[in-house]
Amino acid sequence: MATLIERVFSGSDEMYEKAEKALAEAAAKYDDSTPVAYPDTAYYLECLYSMTGRKNQTLGELKESMKWIKEQMTRQKRTHDVFTSGVATACAAEVIEAVKYIGGVNPYEGTSYKGHMSDADVRELGVPLVTGDIPGFVLFIGAAPSDAKAAELIKSYQAKSIYVFLVGEIIHQAERAGVNMGHAVRIFPVGPDVHDATHVISVAVRVALIFGGIEPGNYDGIRKYTFERVNACVNAFEPVSDLTVACGGGAISYGFPVITNDDNDMWRVPKSLIVQPDVDKFVETSIEARGLKIRVTNVDIPVAYANAFEGEIIRKADMFAEANGTTHDCFELVRSIDASQVTDHKIEVVGNDIDVREEKNQICLGFVVDVCGKKMQPDFEPVFERKFHAWINCIEGVMHTGQRDLIRIRISNATAEAGFRAAHFGEVLYAKIKSEFESVVDKCQVTIYTDPAKCKEMRAEANRIYDKRDERLVSLTDETVDEFYSCIMCQAFSPSHVCIVTPERLGLCGAVSWLDAKATYQLDNNGPCKIVTKGGLIDENVGRWEDVDEVVHSLSQGALEHVTLYSIMEDPMTSCGCFECICGIEPISNGVVIVNREHVAMTPLGMTFSEMASMTGGGVQTPGFMGHGKHFIASKKFMKAEGGVARIVWMPKALKDIVAEKLNKTAKELYGIDNFTDMIGDETVTEDATELYDYLTQKNHPVLGLEPLM
Amino acid sequence: MTKQFTTIEEMESDSQILKQKACEACIDTWQDRAEAQKNHCQFGEKGICCRNCSMGPCRITPKSPKGICGATAHTIAGRNYLQFTAGGTAAHSDHGREICYTLAETKPDGIYKVKDAEKCLRVAKEFGIETEGRDLYDVAHELALAGLNDYGKPFGFQTFISRATEERRKKWEEVGITPRAVDHEVTESMHMCHMGVQADPQSFVKQSMRVGLADGWGGSMMGTEFSDIIFGTPSPVDTEANLGVLSKDMVNIVVHGHDPSVSEAVAYIAETPEMIAKAKSVGAKGINIVGLCCTSNEVTMRHGIPMAGNFLQQENAILTGAVELIVVDVQCVFPAIGPLSKCFHTKFISTSPKAKIPDSDFILVEPSNAEEAARTIVNTAIDNFVNRDASKVFIPEHKEKATVGYSCEAIIKELDGVTNSFVDDPGTYKPLIECIKAGVLRGAVGIVGCNNPKVRADYSHIEIMKELLKNDVIVVTTGCSAQAAAKAGLMDKEAKELCGDGLKRVCDLVGIPPVLHMGSCVDISRILNLVHQVAKEWGIDVTQLPVVGCAPEWMSQKAVSIANYVVASGLDTYLGIEPQVKGSDEMMHLITDGSRDLVGAGYIIEMDPAKLVTAMIDGIEAKRTALNI
Repeated sequence: MATLIERVFSGSDEMYEKAEKALAEAAAKYDDSTPVAYPDTAYYLECLYSMTGRKNQTLGELKESMKWIKEQMTRQKRTHDVFTSGVATACAAEVIEAVKYIGGVNPYEGTSYKGHMSDADVRELGVPLVTGDIPGFVLFIGAAPSDAKAAELIKSYQAKSIYVFLVGEIIHQAERAGVNMGHAVRIFPVGPDVHDATHVISVAVRVALIFGGIEPGNYDGIRKYTFERVNACVNAFEPVSDLTVACGGGAISYGFPVITNDDNDMWRVPKSLIVQPDVDKFVETSIEARGLKIRVTNVDIPVAYANAFEGEIIRKADMFAEANGTTHDCFELVRSIDASQVTDHKIEVVGNDIDVREEKNQICLGFVVDVCGKKMQPDFEPVFERKFHAWINCIEGVMHTGQRDLIRIRISNATAEAGFRAAHFGEVLYAKIKSEFESVVDKCQVTIYTDPAKCKEMRAEANRIYDKRDERLVSLTDETVDEFYSCIMCQAFSPSHVCIVTPERLGLCGAVSWLDAKATYQLDNNGPCKIVTKGGLIDENVGRWEDVDEVVHSLSQGALEHVTLYSIMEDPMTSCGCFECICGIEPISNGVVIVNREHVAMTPLGMTFSEMASMTGGGVQTPGFMGHGKHFIASKKFMKAEGGVARIVWMPKALKDIVAEKLNKTAKELYGIDNFTDMIGDETVTEDATELYDYLTQKNHPVLGLEPLM
Repeated sequence: MTKQFTTIEEMESDSQILKQKACEACIDTWQDRAEAQKNHCQFGEKGICCRNCSMGPCRITPKSPKGICGATAHTIAGRNYLQFTAGGTAAHSDHGREICYTLAETKPDGIYKVKDAEKCLRVAKEFGIETEGRDLYDVAHELALAGLNDYGKPFGFQTFISRATEERRKKWEEVGITPRAVDHEVTESMHMCHMGVQADPQSFVKQSMRVGLADGWGGSMMGTEFSDIIFGTPSPVDTEANLGVLSKDMVNIVVHGHDPSVSEAVAYIAETPEMIAKAKSVGAKGINIVGLCCTSNEVTMRHGIPMAGNFLQQENAILTGAVELIVVDVQCVFPAIGPLSKCFHTKFISTSPKAKIPDSDFILVEPSNAEEAARTIVNTAIDNFVNRDASKVFIPEHKEKATVGYSCEAIIKELDGVTNSFVDDPGTYKPLIECIKAGVLRGAVGIVGCNNPKVRADYSHIEIMKELLKNDVIVVTTGCSAQAAAKAGLMDKEAKELCGDGLKRVCDLVGIPPVLHMGSCVDISRILNLVHQVAKEWGIDVTQLPVVGCAPEWMSQKAVSIANYVVASGLDTYLGIEPQVKGSDEMMHLITDGSRDLVGAGYIIEMDPAKLVTAMIDGIEAKRTALNI
């Protein structure tokens, strides 16, 4: 019987040979200067880039990297050699995959496979990873004992919100079993061959590069980060080849345990290589092996409830019913009322159930959640209410968009068939309010309105409350409050990043407003958010306080000395990597370009979102670049030190549409300019900096009258 | 960045400063005396000087190849070797016997209690004592008596040998070395060494193994197990090591020796609010107990009491001028402490009638008066604080963090942490075995033993350990070797950075330092239990395990007793100091290859630590190859 070490060596030799062959085939068609790149990433060929710091942008450079790969395949009988050979195996696998992308083609176009994951998708995972909404990743390799078993295992992980990658035959098994796959539902079919696992390693190392701020080429630093912070594991089905064992050596080097049902010629290593003959126990065995923290909300509904369904899209054809706030009376409302009027866990439906309706599949729908509690504050109402979107989306087969009275909710046919009814929304809202806000909510009741007349009446009532809240929000400025909040929710992944959250500057992830931070603090004084007092004002213009500096210094473990709240040039706030938007200086106009994560195309900076984002993140200060939330754009504090929103010269159109109303209002108040967003360029105007300058001149954009930024 | 640990050069530089203080006080230290003793008598060194009757002394030379009685070099060297070994067994086992007496005096409200009731019942069952429905202390007292009786058991064999693997017990029976009883084996050894009795070299070697086994699977094991019952079974605890643990503003009390009964009582009393208040009343910030030698190992394993140092550091501790009182029990105490303590304000207290030392104040400490005696000792130390002369104080700043307390029970508990409840059963060494089988760990080495001025102090211990760690070999250690490791930072969990990737990953996942402190020198019995249980769970003989023993700087008789029982228990043992039998090629063969033929393991002797560790790694790899792993 070959030893474990021999199996890894043999498998890594095999992968190296395959890589050489793939390169030779490519070399027959292309010359050394031919560009080699994965699409939509700023991290080149990520496995090689992260481990060596080399960018590998041409076929010739890739050939050079083969020498490094070979050097890593040392053959002492030590774990060190297993690890370096394992990592080299993943890199050799990357060579095999990379050459497929030569010529900018998508080699998986029209197949069941997705291959490489974009930076935008990786970044989108940032917040859920940090909050624990995605507890970790699992990679399946090979074929499950049956199609049904494949589907069962995948769904079991999905129900626990664990992100699932699939490599090999299990993809077709899942297809045959009718499993809905894609990034949105957290099931990513990578590719058919063992070497496709390289795309999964690429995600793991990008988490280290993006959120951890680990320098490319810091070989041990990357491995330490993934070992300590990236909760991934591998499930490999029998028969496990030497090739898979070698990839497993790489996975284990990065800290990811491998669980297999192959007992043949297999060596056990505690917490690293686990033989579990019973595939029915794969999920539980894996969760324990990697120490995944699963947050289970037991919701009594007839379909699954998990974060993995948050991004699920329900198409019209699959739609059983729709509540559309633009055409029907729909709304969501949280009220804190007197305890005597709240009966805990009372769920009432006013009107017909969703399967009894007048129109074909359109319904009116309103939720009123009444809460009470000694520590409950009216300021928390909108905080709870904004969570409805995520909570309702986590129901399998239910899609939710928007907020307040502009919501849209779709229920799929399959979910309705499973028995999902109106009252189940009440169960979900009740369970989530009680589990997430336990320390302030003593009792909670939910009323679901479907009766059109009642919905109309309650919507008007809701609007009165929304207006009152808006008045309160307008009055909340950085000057009127006594304290800011720090947020270090991201430190699990980005150990030196600290957000300072103020009424006019929400967290860069877009998920934590000042009110959210306040509620988070009230819910748990020892939690991620803490009060930051406003003592020791140093410079009001750039937003510099002694107290803020002190907090940032302490919470960043000394990594940061100073931070300003209103400048992107002087000690700007750091980024963790999960920012919604990034702005960067556009030197010709002296303005800034803002790009949101969803925008994959080029910008006038000559960089995509991913490329700009790779300039910052990981808790590092990068003057001239700053990550931020979408709603910060319309803030009067946005780049206040540099002249405010007048610096904004370009945004993707979609982002402009989102922020237009508020941004125009801000510009009107600050500079007396009407329709300011019309002066801002977008991709329909140009992606070229010189053309943009002409456009700004033509529009008489206020940036042209400002001082140079540098 | 890898943490920078104290280097051997830094330790030596501290010693140099302290040595200078000794010169200023006009007092000699071990360095001076070792120099003065050069060159050692070659007849003694080679084991061919016989002083067993008054016809002699006889010495073997080419011109006089036999003693007056006709004893050859082989007989004389063999006889000396056995006598030396029996001395070691006697010392360890007498320590164990004292612990039996302490167990016999345990009371629910006394200073000595039964702290580990579960272990008390478990061990009592091994001795065939009825435990069901009985009062714990009745059981404990009966166990103490059964233990004492084991020392002089008239028929049969020692109780604890049932813990050894079946293969080993068969081998012992086949060779005729199954230990009967401690007193029997020591007495018989001394009888064999009498003028005109045993003359056959191989019989000396066999009896050395037998008397050694009586120690390992008898006296020492009782010392360990019964101490755990009384004082608690060690579990991981954080502490510090090296002279930097002495405090400049507290009352420093040094406990030194081997038997934990005295030091436990002193530590217990020193923690009372009454004593702390008294210390504060004389201007001290509190009371700081630190340890030397194996007494230190005992109290650090159970309470995290800091380790001031090992054998060759005992004079250094006094030379800091910061020690109010040093209290000693038995074994490895330099008589030099007496005159040295007179050069400083340090009070020197001896406590055992077996170890009265000139220039010490003798305070008898027995189980019946321990509390009162300990109070007197602590009071004396506090009263002496005002006499400390600040101008004479130099406390070297070096100290390292250490996590200690790895009893077998604690190791199993740590290993349980890496099992998977959907695959594994808890409470076994299986995770360790799997790591070794897969090659993540190449093997394990037990490094034990003393310091010896014949080699650079602590250097061999530390260098050998570092090399093993680099090669993914996990190290378990006891005694002065453990303290050398702790001083060098190897018991700091951060020392994982010095390891190969395999051992480093194990340290990360299990949450242990790469060098595990298993206790004092009697606690090598813990290593026996560990190794034999691993062999049982693996299903192979101990001799097949990629596990070896090593004593790179040994000096005492106890060390040779240990070396004998480790070899007879199935582990090759690598020695960095030659046993004193070199004058007989037959004896040299018998303790190396000869004993491998006899019991499957023997000594490998090499004075160069670099070569010694290479030989160890090669030995481990050869065992792996034989197992096809």
